[in-house]
Amino acid sequence: MHYKFALIASSVFILSACGGSGSDDTPTVNGNKIPILSVADIPSDLSKGQTVELIATASDKDGTIESVIWQQTAGITVLSEPLESISTTLTIPEAQSYKPVTYTFTVTATDNEGASNAKTLSFTARNNMDEVSAARLLHQATMGPKLSEIQNAQGLSEQQWLDKQIALPINYHRNYLVKLNDDDDFKYISRIDAWWKAVMQSDDQLRQRVAFALSEILVVSDENSALRGQPEGMVTYYDLLLKHAFGNYRDLLEDVTLSPIMGTYLSHLGNEKADDTLNIRPDENYAREVMQLFTIGLEELNLDGSVKLDAQGNTIATYGQSEIEGFARVFTGWTFADSETFKRKSHDYIKPMQAFDEYHSGKQKTLLNGEVIPQGYAAEESLQIALDNLFNHQNVAPFISKQLIQRLITSNPTPQYVERVASVFINNGAGVRGDLAAVVKAIYLDDEARHFGSVLNYQGKIKEPILKTVQFWRNLDAKSPAGYYKTWNLINSYGQGPMQSASVFNFFRPDYQTAALRNEGIVAPELQIANDATLIGTMNALYASLVWSTAEAHSDLNSNSIYVYVQSDMNILEKNGVSALLAQYNALYFASAMSSNTRQALLDLDAYFNEDQYRERVSYLLYMIAISPEFNVQY
Amino acid sequence: MSINRREFLSLCVKGGVSAAALTSLQLQALTGATNAVELGDYKALVCVYLYGGNDSLNMLVPLEGEQRSVYEQSRQNLAVENPVALSIKNQFAGGVGIHPSLAPIQSVFESQSLAFIGGVGTLLAPTSLSDYKNKTIGLPKHLFSHNDQQAAWMYGREKQSLNSGWGARLLERLELQDEFAANISLDGTNLWQTGSATNAFALNKSGISNINAFGGYQPRSEHVTSIMNRLLGNTSHPLSTAYANGLTSAINNTQAMNSALESAPTLITPFSDNSLSEQFSAVAKTISVQAKLSTQRQVFFVSMGGFDTHDNQLTTHPALLNTLAQGLSEFDSAMKELDMADKVTAFTMSDFGRTLTSNGDGTDHGWAGNQIVMGGAVKGGNIYGELLTQHLDGPQDTGGGRLIPSVANEQYFATLAQWFGVPSSELVDIFPNLSNFDHTTLDFFV
Repeated sequence: MHYKFALIASSVFILSACGGSGSDDTPTVNGNKIPILSVADIPSDLSKGQTVELIATASDKDGTIESVIWQQTAGITVLSEPLESISTTLTIPEAQSYKPVTYTFTVTATDNEGASNAKTLSFTARNNMDEVSAARLLHQATMGPKLSEIQNAQGLSEQQWLDKQIALPINYHRNYLVKLNDDDDFKYISRIDAWWKAVMQSDDQLRQRVAFALSEILVVSDENSALRGQPEGMVTYYDLLLKHAFGNYRDLLEDVTLSPIMGTYLSHLGNEKADDTLNIRPDENYAREVMQLFTIGLEELNLDGSVKLDAQGNTIATYGQSEIEGFARVFTGWTFADSETFKRKSHDYIKPMQAFDEYHSGKQKTLLNGEVIPQGYAAEESLQIALDNLFNHQNVAPFISKQLIQRLITSNPTPQYVERVASVFINNGAGVRGDLAAVVKAIYLDDEARHFGSVLNYQGKIKEPILKTVQFWRNLDAKSPAGYYKTWNLINSYGQGPMQSASVFNFFRPDYQTAALRNEGIVAPELQIANDATLIGTMNALYASLVWSTAEAHSDLNSNSIYVYVQSDMNILEKNGVSALLAQYNALYFASAMSSNTRQALLDLDAYFNEDQYRERVSYLLYMIAISPEFNVQY
Repeated sequence: MSINRREFLSLCVKGGVSAAALTSLQLQALTGATNAVELGDYKALVCVYLYGGNDSLNMLVPLEGEQRSVYEQSRQNLAVENPVALSIKNQFAGGVGIHPSLAPIQSVFESQSLAFIGGVGTLLAPTSLSDYKNKTIGLPKHLFSHNDQQAAWMYGREKQSLNSGWGARLLERLELQDEFAANISLDGTNLWQTGSATNAFALNKSGISNINAFGGYQPRSEHVTSIMNRLLGNTSHPLSTAYANGLTSAINNTQAMNSALESAPTLITPFSDNSLSEQFSAVAKTISVQAKLSTQRQVFFVSMGGFDTHDNQLTTHPALLNTLAQGLSEFDSAMKELDMADKVTAFTMSDFGRTLTSNGDGTDHGWAGNQIVMGGAVKGGNIYGELLTQHLDGPQDTGGGRLIPSVANEQYFATLAQWFGVPSSELVDIFPNLSNFDHTTLDFFV
């Protein structure tokens, strides 16, 4: 072995004297002992952006060390060419994606006779969220982040934060459902109260956010419906979304289908086989909507969510009337659990529905993609085959993935983003289809969500109106002295409320555009409910809460009124001044992206007040933030 | 292709249209020579949208004879019993009755202020059963699907890359797109009123809605307002700009509407305590201050949900029809009280009719249905179009009792548009499928 290299003056060699020990097992090459080489340990948990010291120790028993050379063999390039040095300090490159990066270096020591020894050093650097990254992630992945939550997320990688969230025990809303005041029973307002308590207090915020998104895809509603009298059933339905938020979409679809709440809402509960003498045929309601809204949509899609076209340039329908009739037959024979007979119903709105085969249509059932259930199949077998058929349709992955991206991250994902997530829906990496935990992680960890690489100028989404209030209320510890959240008429103020859509088509459609946005070719689903009446309604609700309902402004608190608590914000103003408070609000309400214009406007707003009007100053700053265009978009 | 000049020019500038493909009207628009319509007296259209697909074939049913037995055979337990006989003798030989729950509009009908249009639905061209089965005629896309058929009714034409509602297109043709009070919804955003240059002002059904932040100590509220305006006027992200523009116009228009409504007279006509009647009441109030709002044309949108009667139809549908009839009759009284009846026409739209067959205790998504028009200008007391025979497996049944319409909804809309002031020669520009029909309009206006 022969190495030629230039000597670098700054290199420091640690030379050891020739050893006199006779029991030397150092390998030799042609009688020459090769150098002894070791590398110093490096910290086990390394983050991108951090510095790391590579330190070698080299000696030679029968000569001298001529050179020590570091070379990089894996990872983002930090040593573009071999470096002759016994040690070096490197800065690990900043994050360019969520993925941990493994770096490998080889150090080679060569002695005066040309013999060499080499060691390899490898480490993996993970992301290390700073305040900006943590604030951005938590704005997307919680119901509205608290300061403590942003602080706790800092120092973790995005992946670590998501994994921790996914592993948290589920805060089911049933646990928050209580009978209010002297009520004998659960009332509609009990379930609204439970929703507020859960989203305000629970730590499994990612799950709460994903379940809320699912409640806007797999829609049920007790607005103008008999379900208003079934708050316990409604909460049970929401809990099913929480349960499966990180489970499998197939299981979710089955539990949704068999929910007596869904059965009532889309009328397949009590649906029975045809009676030709009376011109009665199975109810087509659920058959239609489970396809159009819960799984595949109306038109065939490419994996990237775009619409497939045939040779003539026309869209291709995913199903026709024969498939609807086939699925309508599938969803016959089901009614409330523990019913005595199909007609003597138990009215149990909690347990999954039960089948009565004598009311199930045994006729042949046409499913998607030409699959057919032959005649004679019973209710349960038919259901399993039909749900498998739906779940395995090629549209489900892009159809559901894109809508989840729109609910969680951005209204206008690129087709590539949709395709990356849909591919994970198809296969989580371990051969499993429909793994929602994997899908959710793919959604949040994608470069497009994390702003790695170039950021689209229309990246992000309009915040949902009710989530704006959740965000303020979580931070301001909003509560009533009685401990209840009795928020009536959410629809009037916000145009939405949990499980209160006017129809199964949700509060807004995924492709809604205003006239102005149409010209830019982008959609903004949430703006479908941002009409004059709700915009003013939301503005008034926020003013009423943030300005009129601070606990600090009232000496007597009304037992059922919800107050926000602003004392700690007032303290910051008093001790550290408005700049300190705005720095905190920047992370809390703007995901650290407040522009200087907005900051200046808030300072000018604040300048109107006397310095010691701490409460008014906090109230008006919060209110103006709530109105500001920058707060209203989740980037 | 809309005939709105602004939309049209922008399309041309983008190179989307070659001049050869233009109609004479569009050429006029391009050269800025569109004939301005002399608006004359005030007129308003009130769309009453029945979400979910009204089983409107059950609003008008045969009383006796063969049609009645065919009807009962088809409808079985969902056949309407004890219909209220109408005095007219056209349509069914054995006479026609309205659903007993519609009784509140019987007198409006008999006083010639209300008419029905029979057999209406989405159609691209006249379509027979063999056309349907052999696909010799193009069909509207996604028949029987709620949101697609809602869109077809609200667009008044097939979906295209740039969509606009026909209510908005009427206003844009009459060059009223800049008058917010010309386009008012009592039920938020909807496709019918969303155009390329106009969208509905969403009025709260309680009428005046004060803005909390603008009350209280005046110097403070002025300061707050000025900062708010600064923030709303200074955006860069397209979504925050869309939000800010929406809020800015909401604030301005709400304040303008509040100040107009402050002078509204108190109506003697009582309105019921339900959402539809409340919406009608707010429309009546707004019409009562029409002079203050100084717009010569208005379109209003009110709505009712719950018509998707897949189950419990025998309980729910009569209640829905009764609420509808009650609201219409109250609105008719209010218009007469205001002496505006001749100037205001209310009409219904719905996703689709429903199946003649039952699914046990309800019906599923169908196609053709019947509609209601009401107002002093309507030649009331009559039924236009064609009441379809409710014959299962009959000449218009595509299967399960989903009947092919005999009147295109665009013919129905064009009649309303013509009354509203759109020149007859331009109706086909607004409702393009009309070119496939012999008649562009029905004859239900005086």
